[in-house]
Amino acid sequence: MSLSEFLSMGGYGFYVWGSYLVSLIAFAAELVSLSRRKKALAPQPKHKPVIRGSITNETTS
Amino acid sequence: MNLYKYAAPVNFYPLAGKLIPWFAIPAAILFAAGLYVGFFVAPTDFQQGDAYRIMFIHVPAAWMGMFLYVLLAFYAAIGWAFNARLASMMASSIATTGAMFTFLSLVTGALWGKPTWGTWWVWDARMTSTLILLFLYAGFISLQASIDDPRRADRAGAVLAIVGVINVPIIYFSVQWWNTLHQGATIRILGKPSIAPPMLAAMLIMLAACWLYSVAVVLIRLRCIILEREQNAAHLAEVPV
Repeated sequence: MSLSEFLSMGGYGFYVWGSYLVSLIAFAAELVSLSRRKKALAPQPKHKPVIRGSITNETTS
Repeated sequence: MNLYKYAAPVNFYPLAGKLIPWFAIPAAILFAAGLYVGFFVAPTDFQQGDAYRIMFIHVPAAWMGMFLYVLLAFYAAIGWAFNARLASMMASSIATTGAMFTFLSLVTGALWGKPTWGTWWVWDARMTSTLILLFLYAGFISLQASIDDPRRADRAGAVLAIVGVINVPIIYFSVQWWNTLHQGATIRILGKPSIAPPMLAAMLIMLAACWLYSVAVVLIRLRCIILEREQNAAHLAEVPV
């Protein structure tokens, strides 16, 4: 069987490959959106708050 | 070992992480094997020519859409009845993948219908009930998204999911109950399947691949949901009173 014969799928190429292409896109879309969701949740680097000077609740007199 | 501890999302999180590769890798291998058998081993159908090869993705997708809905409703019911957070999170996680497979079954069905029936779509029993299944998934997802409190969202979603289960047997038996354009079941629980062995093999391998894929993806999403919902609780626990 030649490649062009294989791709034509007996004249049904558009429908057969279309089905598998849509499926591939759907699977890929799910995986990509999931990996984005996962990345958004990755722990952010923790910054320790830098406090310049001293903060107190008491007013200076 | 106390298995009950894994009912707590925080404890299940690392276990789910360890399980994922055990499903993801076999899924990839079986997709490759199923496509190989489906395109290079299975012969051309004498009635439908090569158009029937759409079956290898269409039938597994349609089955997964139905199975996952029943599983979703089961977990939603457990989460509701026993107030189990993890089960409700599992239901939410399944919804997206189930919707994806149902969407695929409709699109590949249209692409199969056009060359064999001469139409993309008819409002026959099986197709209409499958479309309703997609709407049920969409309704579940959007209902949950519209409620801020996650536990209230779980309960509301559970009601919708459980009521919607009635649609699954309607889809399954629609080809027997009504006179439809859609062909009957290719594989019966009792009796011989009505297709050649390599065709059946390709379809079953693809079905197994879709199952493994679903488990892997649902576990990955479940881990995201656990983090999204419970990390705030973890932060709050750290705030000194």
